[in-house]
Amino acid sequence: MSENHILRAFDRDLDAIQGLVMKMGGLVETAITDAAHALEAGDLDEAERVRKADRDIDVLEYRINEEAARVIALRAPTAGDLRVVLSVMKIASALERVGDYAKNMAKRTQALVELGHTPVVAQAGASLRRMTRAVTELLSDALDSYAARDVALAQDVRIRDQEIDQMYNALFREFLTHMLEDPRNITPCIHLHFIAKNIERMGDHATAIAEQVVYLTTGEVPDDPRPKAENVANLPKS
Amino acid sequence: MKDHLERRMTTTDLNRMTARNVQVYYGQNHALKDVDVDILDKTVTAFIGPSGCGKSTFLRCLNRMNDTIQGARVEGQILLEGEDIYDRRVDPVQLRAKVGMVFQKPNPFPKSVYDNVAYGPRIHGLARSKAELDQIVESSLRRAALWNEVKDRLAAPGTGLSGGQQQRLCIARAVATNPEVLLMDEPCSALDPIATAQVEELIDELRANFSVVIVTHSMQQAARVSQKTAFFHLGHLVEYGDTTQIFTKPRDPRTEAYITGRIG
Repeated sequence: MSENHILRAFDRDLDAIQGLVMKMGGLVETAITDAAHALEAGDLDEAERVRKADRDIDVLEYRINEEAARVIALRAPTAGDLRVVLSVMKIASALERVGDYAKNMAKRTQALVELGHTPVVAQAGASLRRMTRAVTELLSDALDSYAARDVALAQDVRIRDQEIDQMYNALFREFLTHMLEDPRNITPCIHLHFIAKNIERMGDHATAIAEQVVYLTTGEVPDDPRPKAENVANLPKS
Repeated sequence: MKDHLERRMTTTDLNRMTARNVQVYYGQNHALKDVDVDILDKTVTAFIGPSGCGKSTFLRCLNRMNDTIQGARVEGQILLEGEDIYDRRVDPVQLRAKVGMVFQKPNPFPKSVYDNVAYGPRIHGLARSKAELDQIVESSLRRAALWNEVKDRLAAPGTGLSGGQQQRLCIARAVATNPEVLLMDEPCSALDPIATAQVEELIDELRANFSVVIVTHSMQQAARVSQKTAFFHLGHLVEYGDTTQIFTKPRDPRTEAYITGRIG
């Protein structure tokens, strides 16, 4: 809705909350990129920075919830305004989860570095980097679709999540193979698998954000089944 | 067993009143254009819209209050229980016993509490004995959630009650003729928040027995008390639907602009 409220402070409140969401999105994107870089480079300092920076993301989520509660209590938002408030709370919650996954990636990086150099880590590094880049783009498009209220882009994000799922499936098989080949690979591969799984979950949260954009713009939650490719539970027995 | 969330919805599709293609003119001024509305049984219907949008004009059509306004002309069809209320054979006084009205400012008659409520039943000959009239007065005051506060001073003047009590006395007076529809024109705008809450609670209780139509400037009040909402703008009925839908997903951009407090 392009028109302004008669009470302009209401517009300022809504703009401010949405500004916090975009700021949170920026911090989360940085966290993912830095965590992936720390993993690939085995950079313990960078991993530690990612872990510490997660606190800022949590604080922003708290502030967004506080501001949303304030708007509900003081301004009794309706229709499109109500959907803005409800969607910022859900988007903030999704971003907070993504931040946690990035932090977990940093934590597992520290564990992997302590295990010492293993070829599987180096090998998986490139695949994980591609997967991370894809998920960062997905998240960034989800946030752009939010800022621009772009339903077409949001729908595109929902569909593209299956690419992340496919990358995860491929990595899952790769890790399984390494572990079967040599039991010494089990510990690093378990860590790497959790990292891959967490990146796959980030894609799901990007999708959840895109769904909020559809709800915010149209008033309807998309109910068409989105394509899903994550199916490691149905892998053939090896 | 229905839970609360289901019960608060409309419980019927039965129409009490049906308005079709209603036009109202004040002299040359075409004040209300092409209005179609159904007033459902056992349902609170709220009319909202900016000042001068036609909502009060339309409310007054429903019991022919516009008859008394010089130069006012109503066209189209308004049916009560399937009968045209503008038919020449319809007596407006009888009609208003079936379609009662409560106004913005409490306006009790300068009579006792008892006589305020007994007035309608008396002129319409609804009671055959003093005992029967006593019964009607008591049940009407109970329905208006006022009985416990006034049962010991039925002979005291109605104008001596507090503002909120006076408004509930007017509601008791309106329900005393056992109407089918109760019209309320801004019934809480002269009341404090506590009295407003009491009247809103009362409206919710009245829904069990009557159709209630309420005109209000407070959108939050419309959202709180009604199951159906009609939005009027510049003499048009812009949108009519379930109150929840109007306040969460309005279809018309003018409705959205109005209920979210934007310049519409």
